[in-house]
Amino acid sequence: MDGPNRGQKRLEARRPETELIREAQAGSRAAFDALVKQYEAQVLRLALHLTGSEHDAEDIYQEAFLKAYRYIGNFRFECSFYTWIYRIVTNLCLDQLRRRKTRREDQAVILDHSGDEIDVLASVSDERSFSNPAKELDRKVLATRIQEALGKLTPRERMVFELKHYQGLRLRTIGEMLNTTEETAKNTLFRATKKLRAQLAGLR
Amino acid sequence: MNCELAHERIVMAAYGELPDDAAHELERHVASCPACHTEREQVRALKLLADAYPMEEPTANLMARSRLRLEDALDALPPKTWLERFAQRLGNNFATLQAAPAAACLLLLMGAGAGALGGYHVAQSRAAQDGALAQALRTPVPPQDNPAEGVANISSIIRQPNSEQVEVRYNRLVPAELKGSLDDPDIRQLLMLASGNTTSDNVHVRSVELLADECAAGHGCNGEGMRDVLMFVLRYDRDSGVRLKALQGLERYVAEDVRVRDAVLEALLNDNDPHIRTAAINMLGPVDADTTVRQVLHTVAHSDRNPQIRLVSRQVLSRVPEFQ
Repeated sequence: MDGPNRGQKRLEARRPETELIREAQAGSRAAFDALVKQYEAQVLRLALHLTGSEHDAEDIYQEAFLKAYRYIGNFRFECSFYTWIYRIVTNLCLDQLRRRKTRREDQAVILDHSGDEIDVLASVSDERSFSNPAKELDRKVLATRIQEALGKLTPRERMVFELKHYQGLRLRTIGEMLNTTEETAKNTLFRATKKLRAQLAGLR
Repeated sequence: MNCELAHERIVMAAYGELPDDAAHELERHVASCPACHTEREQVRALKLLADAYPMEEPTANLMARSRLRLEDALDALPPKTWLERFAQRLGNNFATLQAAPAAACLLLLMGAGAGALGGYHVAQSRAAQDGALAQALRTPVPPQDNPAEGVANISSIIRQPNSEQVEVRYNRLVPAELKGSLDDPDIRQLLMLASGNTTSDNVHVRSVELLADECAAGHGCNGEGMRDVLMFVLRYDRDSGVRLKALQGLERYVAEDVRVRDAVLEALLNDNDPHIRTAAINMLGPVDADTTVRQVLHTVAHSDRNPQIRLVSRQVLSRVPEFQ
């Protein structure tokens, strides 16, 4: 039968990670390094898109994995490791967004580690970008406007929208990561989209 | 279906979160409602617009830099001692045996024994640093009426050759006490440790009461530590009276500390004691400017199973101008 075989295969695909986690809990640094390699790109991608700063993304990466290393012994397999690590990362990102709100920072561009601006769209492939420079400029302006509008959401709204729209996670998973209910995540997403539409009204 | 509900469902449908039957119902409504049809087009347009700020892959330099920095930080951490690893493993095993009471009791007894041994080792290492332990071992132990009293464990048994003489070395538990003001950091540290004490309910309850009273009075509850302990108790303690006490201790900080606010919101949504939930609702009134708070109250006011909770939520919401 296909059903049970698929379940069995999924179980087998997960086994290596389960073994890695147990080894890391037993103190194996190599096992922990392997876990880091599995999730580091996703963590950096999320932190970079949320903060717009390579420096801040690096800090979040560092704090997230150090916390994971410190508390991996407390991981009880009640959720997936993916959810667990993302919970740590999202909380750190939320703290960062709240600090920015307090300081009223307006990060409209992405900065590299030395503080210089990065042209977000410069690395977009030719298949996606237009060859027309004027349209290219329009896209950059548009991207900046989107970032500004995202910056006006509350930290929670920003996080839920980020995880749903850009990361494609289920609302139930988002609720688990943010230690809240699926219903709350749903309401937060709705509020976020309403605010974004109000901010971006008139853009085409 | 009214348009307000349709607007919410349009967003859920756009993100693939709407069940099939609700999607079908929505489709029928949108087909006959031009306003909602426009709404759906605008939500779709928003999704396209949002993609104009794309997710970028981190550069190889950023990845390499981050990994290197993490490796340096991990190398600088001291390795976990065998006791820390054992305690962690014990904690994990205990959690998985929650459904097996007999085995859980046995594990608890083993844990208590291991904890006593661990406590002795910590005390021993501290005494060795001061030189006190070396002096104590050279000093003969005075005979006790009951030598087994207060013994943590036997560390060695040596019999003299061709003799009836036996040397038994043992380690003793040393009860201690500390008296001081509630403002004393050492007293507070012990109270926070006591809040996690699961062997004596009395000690556990008393410690939470004292910590909550101190926080409620605003006595030095500003840094991390006491607030975190009370939030932990509010989230996880099995005794509703203790959870209520922790909640009362946190009331003062709901407005200024988002973490406390989130803990109170979780209590409102997840606690099974209606008194705690009612107290949580009444604490959230002053922070109605927080949209998350308003949304949770709105949800609870309309869909909670408990009519009393719905009523209290509505009363709080009625004081918020925008919701009137």
